[in-house]
Amino acid sequence: MIELLSPAGNLERLKIACLYGADAIYIGGYNYSLRANAINFSENELKEAVSYAHGLNKKVYVTVNIVFHNQDLEGLKNYLISLANIKVDAVIVSDIAVIKIINDNQIPLEIHLSTQASTLNYEAALFYKKLGVKRIVLAREASRDDIKIIKEKTGLDLECFIQGAMCTSFSGKCVLSNVTTNRDSNRGGCAQICRWCFNINNEKEVFSITPKDLNMSIYLKDMLEIGVNSFKVEGRMRSIYYIATVIYEYRHLLDKIKSNTLTNSDILYSNDIINRCANRESTPQFYDKLPTNKEQYYLGREEVSNQDFLGLVLDRVDKFLLVEERNYFKVGDTVEFFGPNIDAITIKISKMYDENMQAIDIARHPRMHVYLELDSNIPKNAMMRLKVFDKNSYL
Amino acid sequence: MINNYLLVVQNKSIIAKLPESNITFLFPLKDFTVGFPTTYSLEDIDIDNAFIFVNRILDNASFLEFKKTIKKLPSNIKGIVFDDIGILEFLNNSSSSLTKILFLNHFNCNYLSINTYLDYVDSVLVSPDLTFLETNEILKLAKKKLVTYTFGHVNIMYSRRTLITNYNKEFNKSVPLISEITNDLKQKFKIVENKYGTVIYTNEPFNGLRYRGNSNILYHFINSLFLNDEEIIKIINSTSNLESDYPYSYLALEEGIVRIKEREK
Repeated sequence: MIELLSPAGNLERLKIACLYGADAIYIGGYNYSLRANAINFSENELKEAVSYAHGLNKKVYVTVNIVFHNQDLEGLKNYLISLANIKVDAVIVSDIAVIKIINDNQIPLEIHLSTQASTLNYEAALFYKKLGVKRIVLAREASRDDIKIIKEKTGLDLECFIQGAMCTSFSGKCVLSNVTTNRDSNRGGCAQICRWCFNINNEKEVFSITPKDLNMSIYLKDMLEIGVNSFKVEGRMRSIYYIATVIYEYRHLLDKIKSNTLTNSDILYSNDIINRCANRESTPQFYDKLPTNKEQYYLGREEVSNQDFLGLVLDRVDKFLLVEERNYFKVGDTVEFFGPNIDAITIKISKMYDENMQAIDIARHPRMHVYLELDSNIPKNAMMRLKVFDKNSYL
Repeated sequence: MINNYLLVVQNKSIIAKLPESNITFLFPLKDFTVGFPTTYSLEDIDIDNAFIFVNRILDNASFLEFKKTIKKLPSNIKGIVFDDIGILEFLNNSSSSLTKILFLNHFNCNYLSINTYLDYVDSVLVSPDLTFLETNEILKLAKKKLVTYTFGHVNIMYSRRTLITNYNKEFNKSVPLISEITNDLKQKFKIVENKYGTVIYTNEPFNGLRYRGNSNILYHFINSLFLNDEEIIKIINSTSNLESDYPYSYLALEEGIVRIKEREK
């Protein structure tokens, strides 16, 4: 089983992830999930999410991955039963208390061990396997050799992160947030102190502990060959544009690997698209070596925001495409559409209209509705972005 | 008051200065620990009833080395304190008679997890990230005696990255591998690196001496890192909780915030 696993912080993002090619989506309920400040899903929304995803033959995993304090245990059993009742495909857990409750009460839930458990060797994986865990989300510090050995020795399903932000610390092994801001990192309140600037011993250069993002696109094929089952994208707080872009690119890469048509130019192009969308540099991190200074940032926040996301396609009406504007665009701009089941299409905007069908030259207002007169077969939920990279130039 | 201390050794001179009857000396094991400037090979550990401390998350290659080391374990070593769950699995499948104490830093914050792990080990260290109230409740509900983090600087971040070495390389510096960092809020932390990773510690030692006297405690864990022998002796021999000398309560007085604001319904 091979899957592309997407994050989703709310129902809209889950739907986008499904449409853009994710095989499975991981989400958090309102309680017990490590992204407490994401919008997250109410119980009704969880039900709707599962129903929607299953309708498209996709899976939904629910994170129940906080480190529980005594008072958090109250209501946990009923919550787990409710997740089983709505038929979520698995829960992602880090605290053995959750496994204990599932096992003791024979709750029919598949258990995936969270990366928070920092599994880096097969002995640890075997311990959890005996407890009924079906899949391990390995520590992001796992090297190629570690992944390969754990697979060979345990036969467990393995899930590995391929894209997104990294903790400086082993996941779960950091309470800098608690100490600095009193926000409890292991219960969902992480204030990301590892992205702050420090001073060391009064040296004048900033002491940074901030890692660059993870990007495993160049090793996807190798990961497949050593037995990784699930390719996971980080980011339950990320936007629909980020999710669409990243899932779209990784879907294409994985499909090309399967059809044995992947080229270096595919990887280079996708990397540029992903990095620009993420606003941060990304590298393979621990897979092929121990990270050095080259895998960190040293000049504070090196995040470059852009206005690439121009609009979301809401509908197609005859020869017009109805687009909800997200960033300024105008007649004469060269833009690119990408979306569910289409290759990216480049278009020069020649005519556009406001919602009263009055011709306009510029779309200035976020969320305004704009009709573009286009001949292409661009589907609903496609996204319009500034054309920055020309795929042909990578050939 | 009789207290059993599990004292991390950073300077062997302390051993002769303390009565051994109620102190178990815990030696950070060379090549298997992070965050300690001084580590000990098996040959260096030359006292009876010693415990070894293994707090690294071990990759497979390191785990293989660990297994080789355990096979050579001399008889004076009676116990192990460890963080990696793989060690639990390995020791329980071997004929080890070591006393096993699970540290699992930042986990073990509730009685159910702790009682579950107690099926596999002799004792568990209660996370120091809890309030005094929470810890006391866990001590009441635990099915075996537990270990509390009773005194010392707390490991608040463990990275596999060599953060100081990376900094030195980036800026062509030679900052020592034991240093102090400060953030924009002027909060200070201690930082210690070895080739296996980097640990950030609280700047002040956590004072949990009030746990002494609780009957459900197997050991009081004392981290002697950054403390001199005189301080350690004073702490162990004191009958008071030394709150004026060591006022830092870490996270023990106030529960952490989880959500910045509640979601609108």
